[in-house]
Amino acid sequence: MKNFGRAIAQAANETAGTRSGLAGWGSVTDLRLRGLAKSFGRVTALRGVTLDIEAGEFFAILGPSASGKTTTLRCIAGIETPDEGRVIFDGRDVTDEPVQSRQMAMVFQTFALYPHLSIYDNLAYPLREAKVDPAEIARRVGEVAEMLRLTHTLQRKPSTASGGEQQRVAIGRALIRRPRLLLLDEPLTNLDAKLRHDTRAEFKRLHREIGATMLYVTPDQLEALSMGQRIGVLRDGRIVQVGTPAELYRAPGDDYVATMIGDPPMNMLQARLKVGGDSPVIELPFGEVSGGPWSRPLSAFSSGEPLWFGIRPHDLKPVSGDPIGPNFRAKVHLTEPLGDVTILDMEAGATALKIVLPEEEALAYPVGSEVHLQFDVRHTHVFAQQTGTAIR
Amino acid sequence: MAQRRAIGHAGWGRTIAAAIVAAIYFLPVLIIIMYAFQGRNDILSISARSLGDYLESIFSFTPTLSNFENVFFRANIIQAGEGAAQATETDFPLYFLNSVGIAGISVILALVIGTLAAYGFARFPLRGNDTYMFIILTTRMLPPIVVTIPIFIMFQVTGLAGEYPGIIALYTAFNLAFTVWMMKSFFEELSPDVEDAARMDGSSETRVFFKICLPQVKAGMAATAVFGLILTWNELFFALLLTSNETRTIPPAMVRTLGGEVGADYGLLAAIVTLFLVPVLVVTFVLQNQLLRGVTFGTIKK
Ligand SMILES: Nc1ncnc2c1ncn2[C@@H]1O[C@H](COP(=O)(O)OP(=O)(O)O)[C@@H](O)[C@H]1O
Ligand SMILES: [Mg+2]
Repeated sequence: MKNFGRAIAQAANETAGTRSGLAGWGSVTDLRLRGLAKSFGRVTALRGVTLDIEAGEFFAILGPSASGKTTTLRCIAGIETPDEGRVIFDGRDVTDEPVQSRQMAMVFQTFALYPHLSIYDNLAYPLREAKVDPAEIARRVGEVAEMLRLTHTLQRKPSTASGGEQQRVAIGRALIRRPRLLLLDEPLTNLDAKLRHDTRAEFKRLHREIGATMLYVTPDQLEALSMGQRIGVLRDGRIVQVGTPAELYRAPGDDYVATMIGDPPMNMLQARLKVGGDSPVIELPFGEVSGGPWSRPLSAFSSGEPLWFGIRPHDLKPVSGDPIGPNFRAKVHLTEPLGDVTILDMEAGATALKIVLPEEEALAYPVGSEVHLQFDVRHTHVFAQQTGTAIR
Repeated sequence: MAQRRAIGHAGWGRTIAAAIVAAIYFLPVLIIIMYAFQGRNDILSISARSLGDYLESIFSFTPTLSNFENVFFRANIIQAGEGAAQATETDFPLYFLNSVGIAGISVILALVIGTLAAYGFARFPLRGNDTYMFIILTTRMLPPIVVTIPIFIMFQVTGLAGEYPGIIALYTAFNLAFTVWMMKSFFEELSPDVEDAARMDGSSETRVFFKICLPQVKAGMAATAVFGLILTWNELFFALLLTSNETRTIPPAMVRTLGGEVGADYGLLAAIVTLFLVPVLVVTFVLQNQLLRGVTFGTIKK
C-alpha cells in the first residue's frame, strides 16, 4: 500500500484540473457535536457526546467495545437520529438532514461492500448514484483502483478478495466521491497484525496528502495514539477527555483514561490519604510517600480518603546504587519477553504490578528474584477512588 | 496429510449410498411414468405378490402412446360400432392451460406482493410485527378441511366461486403466507450495514431496495417461487371445491379419471401425471442453480 495517499491527492487535483494544493478535494469541513444522546430501548448508547473537530483534523475516538463509537458515527452520518443533541457540520445544523445529502463517507467496520457487485461496480456505485458522466466514472475508478492496488481485482466479487483488498475497496469507495468528512469505524480491526501496522502509516499519509477531516474510531490505544492528532476518550457513551496523545499520556484526567492509554497499562495502587502534620501523606501498601506535590488539591479531602496511586511501568526502575526516590521491594512473578523489551510481572506484598525493562537489563531479574524498585514522585498520578478524577 | 481428499469427492461407498436413497425417492415417479406407456392389458397383468415380482411385471411391457392419445382424444364408444370410429377432443388442454395460468399468476403475484411485504417486515418493523407474521400463517397451519366452510361461504357470497379471479386470489393468499416468511428470512440474512453504505453513497430508499437488497435475494426469490409453484400446481382440495368446468385445473381432472364408465383408467391417469410433471421439472431445472443457492442461503455467507 505504498503511497496511496499521495496518489489519491494527485488524482483529486488532476481531476479538478488544478495543480494547486487541495483544490480538487473541495473544502474541508469542521464538525461540532453538541450533547448527542441515543437510547435503544433500555440500552443507553450515548449520554451526551460533545466534541469539536476542526477542519482538516485527524481526530480519533478511543473507547472499548460497546462504549458508543459506532452509534456516534451513525448519528454523525445521519443513519441514526439522535434522541437529543445536534450535529453541526460546516457551521450548519444537519441533525435533521437525510443521510444522502450530508456529503460524508464512512468506512464500515464490516466494510459493507456490495456483495452482488464486482469491485469495479462497488467503486463506481457512489459516482453512479451522483449521476457522474460514465467516461468520468471509468477514469476515476481506474485511478482509485491503481492507487489502492486493486486493478487486478476489479472484475471480481468482493467475497473473492482478501481482507486487505476488501478494506482497500471500502476505503476507495469512501474516497471516490471526495467527501468533506471521512468517518472510519475500526477499519483495521478485521486485518491481521502485519497489515494493521502498514495500514496505520498509510492512513496518516493519506490524511496528510488529502487533508480531509477524518474521524477515526477504535478500541486500540496504539492506533489512536499513533494516528490521532487529537483523541477523544469515550466511556459509556460520554467523552471523558479530549487531548493530544502526549496530553492524555502525561496527564490523564481520570483513572479510566490512565489505564486505557499506555501499554502495559498504568499500575494502580491502593492508597489512602493521611492528613496531619505539615503536608498530607499518601499511604501505599508498602509505605508512605509525601503528598506534597498535591497538597493544595488534596486539602479538599479528609483523612482516610481512598485513592489510586498510579505509576506507569516505564517509571518504575530497579535500584542500582543508592535509591533516589521512594522505593520498595518486589518479587518477579513472571517475565514476558517481547523482543526488545521485557515486561516483568511483580508482586509487592499483595499488590501486583508491572514494569518494563530493556531486554538485556531484564536478564538480571529471573523469576523469583527480589528487586528493589524506585520511582520519582513527579512521574506519578493520584486519583480519587470515589469519582475516578485525577488530583492535580 | 498425504492422503487429504479434495473437497467434493466423497468415496464410492458414499456415492452409491446416496444413489440408492435418491432411487428410492424417484421410484414412485418412475413407476407411474412406466404405467403411462403401457396398454390396458399390460397394466392389468401387473402383479404385486412380492417386490421383485412387482418391479419385474412393471418393467415388462410393449410401449404404447395410446394413453397419451386418450388424454387429448376420447373415443366415442356409442358410435364406435358403426364403421369410422370417431373421437372427440377432451378438455385436457384447457385444464392444462388453467393449471399453468392459475399457478403462474398466483405465484408471481405472491412473489411481488410478498417480497415487498417481507422487506417491510424485515427492515421497517411495525408495532406487533411478529403478530402479523403469525396471523398470515394461521390459515396454513390447519388442515385445509378446517377452513373449507368459511372459505367456501366467502367465495359464494362474493361470487368468486368457480371464477378465475377467485381461485387465483385464494392461491395468491396461500402463497403469500410462506412467501412473506421465506423472503423475510432472506432479507434478514443481509447485512444492514450494506444498505446504510448505499444510503451514504446517495441511494434513495427505493434504490436501496431495488439496487442493493433485491439483487442479493434473487436466489431466495427463485427458491420461493419454485416451492410456491409446486404447492399450487399440486393443490387438489380447493381446486375441487372452487373451480367449475371452465376453470378446472389438472388435479381435480385427474381425480375424475378414477371413476369413469369403465372403472379406474390407470394408464390414462399415469399419462396425465407424466404430462403434469413436465412443467414443474422444466421450471426446477431452469432455476436449479438459483434454487440451490436460495435453499443454502444462510450457510454460504460467512
Ligand atoms: N441498533 C441497536 N439496537 C440495540 N442496541 C444497540 C444498537 N446499536 C447499538 N446498541 C447498543 O449500544 C451500545 C453502544 O454500541 P456501539 O455504538 O455499537 O458501540 P461500539 O461501536 O463502541 O462497540 C451497545 O451496548 C450496543 O449493544
Ligand atoms: Mg462498533
